[in-house]
Amino acid sequence: MTDVSPEIRARAELAEYLVRTGDEDRAAFRELYLRTNAKLFGIVLRICGEREAAADVLHDVYLTIWKRAGAYEPSRASPITWLATIARNRAIDWRRAQKIRVATPLEDAPDVADSAPLASDAMLAEESRHGIQVCLDELEPNQRDSIRTAFFQGVTYAELAERVGVPLGTMKSWVRRGLARLKECLER
Amino acid sequence: MSAEEGPDVAAAELALGLLEGEERAVALRRVLAEPGFAGEVEVWRGYLGQLFDLWPEAAAPAGVFERVERTLDAPAQIASVRAPARFWPALAGLTSIAAAAALVFIVVRPNPLPAPPPPVAAPAAAPMLVASLAPMDKSATAMAAVYDPARGQLRLTEASAPAANRSAELWVIGDDKTPHSLGMMKPEGGMRAVAMPMRAHLAPGAMLAVTIEPLGGSPSGKPTGPIVAMGKLSTV
Repeated sequence: MTDVSPEIRARAELAEYLVRTGDEDRAAFRELYLRTNAKLFGIVLRICGEREAAADVLHDVYLTIWKRAGAYEPSRASPITWLATIARNRAIDWRRAQKIRVATPLEDAPDVADSAPLASDAMLAEESRHGIQVCLDELEPNQRDSIRTAFFQGVTYAELAERVGVPLGTMKSWVRRGLARLKECLER
Repeated sequence: MSAEEGPDVAAAELALGLLEGEERAVALRRVLAEPGFAGEVEVWRGYLGQLFDLWPEAAAPAGVFERVERTLDAPAQIASVRAPARFWPALAGLTSIAAAAALVFIVVRPNPLPAPPPPVAAPAAAPMLVASLAPMDKSATAMAAVYDPARGQLRLTEASAPAANRSAELWVIGDDKTPHSLGMMKPEGGMRAVAMPMRAHLAPGAMLAVTIEPLGGSPSGKPTGPIVAMGKLSTV
């Protein structure tokens, strides 16, 4: 292992900082923050829609990370996925508590085709024979856009239907057919 | 679900967060009742996790980390957050609410005592509740739970330990039909305080259930893994 790629090293270091955070190591926690705050704030900001609220949610996200880091198991999940899941769930909780409807069009979701994977998470792509990005590209545009918006903006069926201006049943039908095809592709 | 609304992909819908209200409650009950469904939800979380790669970054505003450190250093937080941290990972957000409630209680006590006893929320006369948790899985053993509403304390007997990389999480499903986490099970059993917001759910007829979750508990705060033991609370 003299020739470890920078991606694998970055992931290993992040896992190390997270494990040390679990041992209540403040210096490691600070380093973890420096390396991950832009990713996690990006997630929280998109779902919350406003910077001030997003900063409050980010504060809660890192408190949660501090409290739960002792339970992080490096063999089970990539550190960034573990952290990002906490950020997304916290932001969605906040959003649902506000009952806000942010009027953002579907196309605002990040473009799948143009985005290169982040170095620290590139390994994840190997974990599925058919990555979800490839499989999303095989869907009808209305299915793909709706599923991506649900993921990146944390919205429900009702909000999706409202944004696109279609009946709720139509939106459910699009998304359900899309998810069924996605599943087929992912399991292929 | 009606045929025109498409195929059953509830596991994916739950993992994505599309559902709300009754539909969400139904899916969460399936997580508890159907191990296969719970496994599917976890598989979907894994698939969706790959999409985090694509999420655009945005530098956090200055000062957030300093605020986090101040919160960690505040004495009220240390008492309420640090001690139960390992014990209550799924309730992380609620501990500060419980602490705030406790603080209010102490402040408004008419007769300040040097060392006020822990606040008590339930009426003193509330009867003890017991549940016998039957194993649903051959890896689990039967357990008993005794809840004292007057003290807000739950006592559990020994439980079989989950695999090294998993946690056993205890849930209560009360009148709202929604699972609420009571924290991680400890193999040695023992007494635990139930967080204030959870106490109302612990009533006669409420179901206690144990699921196997990723280490540290369900990342979503809702059950995702197979249910290994369950039993109903009743008065002694």
